[in-house]
Amino acid sequence: MADPIRLGDADLERALRDLGRRYPYPPTPNLAATVRTRIVVRPIAPVRPFALWRDPRRLALVAAVLLVLAGAAALINPATRDAIAHFFHVRGVIVTRAPSPLPSLSPATPLDLGRLTTLEEAQRSVGFTIVVPPELGAPDAVYVASGPPGGEVALAYKPRPGIPVVRETGLGVLVTEFRGDLVPGFITKEVGPGTSLEETSVNGDPGWWIAGQPHIIVVRTSPGEGWPETLRLASNTLVWEHGGVTYRIESGLSKADAMRLAAGLP
Amino acid sequence: MEGRPLDDTALVERARNGDVNAYEALVQQYQELAFRVAYQVTGNAADAEDAAQEAFVNAYYALARFRAGAPFRPWLLRIVANEARNRRAAAGRRMALADRAKAAQTSGETALSPEAAAEADEFRATLVNSLRRLRDDDRLILAYRLFFDLSEAEMAEALKCPKGTVKSRLSRALGRLRAVLPADLRLPAAAGEGNG
Repeated sequence: MADPIRLGDADLERALRDLGRRYPYPPTPNLAATVRTRIVVRPIAPVRPFALWRDPRRLALVAAVLLVLAGAAALINPATRDAIAHFFHVRGVIVTRAPSPLPSLSPATPLDLGRLTTLEEAQRSVGFTIVVPPELGAPDAVYVASGPPGGEVALAYKPRPGIPVVRETGLGVLVTEFRGDLVPGFITKEVGPGTSLEETSVNGDPGWWIAGQPHIIVVRTSPGEGWPETLRLASNTLVWEHGGVTYRIESGLSKADAMRLAAGLP
Repeated sequence: MEGRPLDDTALVERARNGDVNAYEALVQQYQELAFRVAYQVTGNAADAEDAAQEAFVNAYYALARFRAGAPFRPWLLRIVANEARNRRAAAGRRMALADRAKAAQTSGETALSPEAAAEADEFRATLVNSLRRLRDDDRLILAYRLFFDLSEAEMAEALKCPKGTVKSRLSRALGRLRAVLPADLRLPAAAGEGNG
């Protein structure tokens, strides 16, 4: 070559390799959780007998979620990309804001809270101390699920005066507790524009208040066992983390009332 | 990569049968590479994230057509690069320009004297800017080989070209890079070590 560059091919290659090691890339986003949510709601192929497909109401929910995701996908272009926020504020829970409305679904999806048990037995099978909201007292039903490491407990309360029934669960209040520090993406919540998402503080710990239109909740089950995720609609939810345990209160209560219940928890 | 519990082939096989956990493990393993390859094409982080995410989702549903036992990485990268190209075409060049300015700053290099560091930084910034002036295909082939260390077979698969043409393509891309480098560019003192 006639140009006066003194850089040989080998020099140039070495310089490029060196550049490759220090290239000013932006930080890699965590794609795994988002990709997972997107593929969970649409299985790869007609998979084996699957709880989801046996229940027509679930099928309707999945179809509705698919519509939402299709709508969201259509809207997701670089310009509206910023409208979708991912929050890793409370460990164990990922909240995704979808730019398109979520569907209104008629019947409630069956809850899949795990195995019905007693409080004492539940305490023996989870790896953290179960706390019962003092204001609510003994739960009407207790469930344990072995999905996340450390287990998960669900305390169910029937509606009663002052505690309205929640259409999505058929319950008054549902409290769940699990080790959020061990499973970063155990629960994914897809929140539409009709749902408000508010950063809040619960007993001094960071949390979220999710209210308004029901949001979609995808709960991961045991990693490695290949169970399908649970998909359902969730109502007003207060979620926060304290000492490695993630607490969730789902109800039809106002924020003030939910905060009052939470005040009795850590 | 250390400590891989399962190799790609086993994970791909499980993912093909609908095992979301297996696919998530693949995403974890390749999200950085996918994002960086996309970034090489788009020149901005938002489009690169979008392209990489879309590529992983599309690849999942394309697994049914994936040849069992074939290498996953180059196949994935081909999908990533296509998604990134689509976005780049749509986004235009404005964002890339803004990015060029940013590319001039590189991370600290404490072992060098301030003068030598500045010189090395400037040299690398010049390389980054020159690379960005290349066609996507040229920049990609250089990045695959020299940044991401793909083998020739992987490059052929990722670029969908005959294996025998990889070397000549690489050398032509290097030639075109040379052509856009400033005529007075010299190796900085520190990078020139071992330059007999």
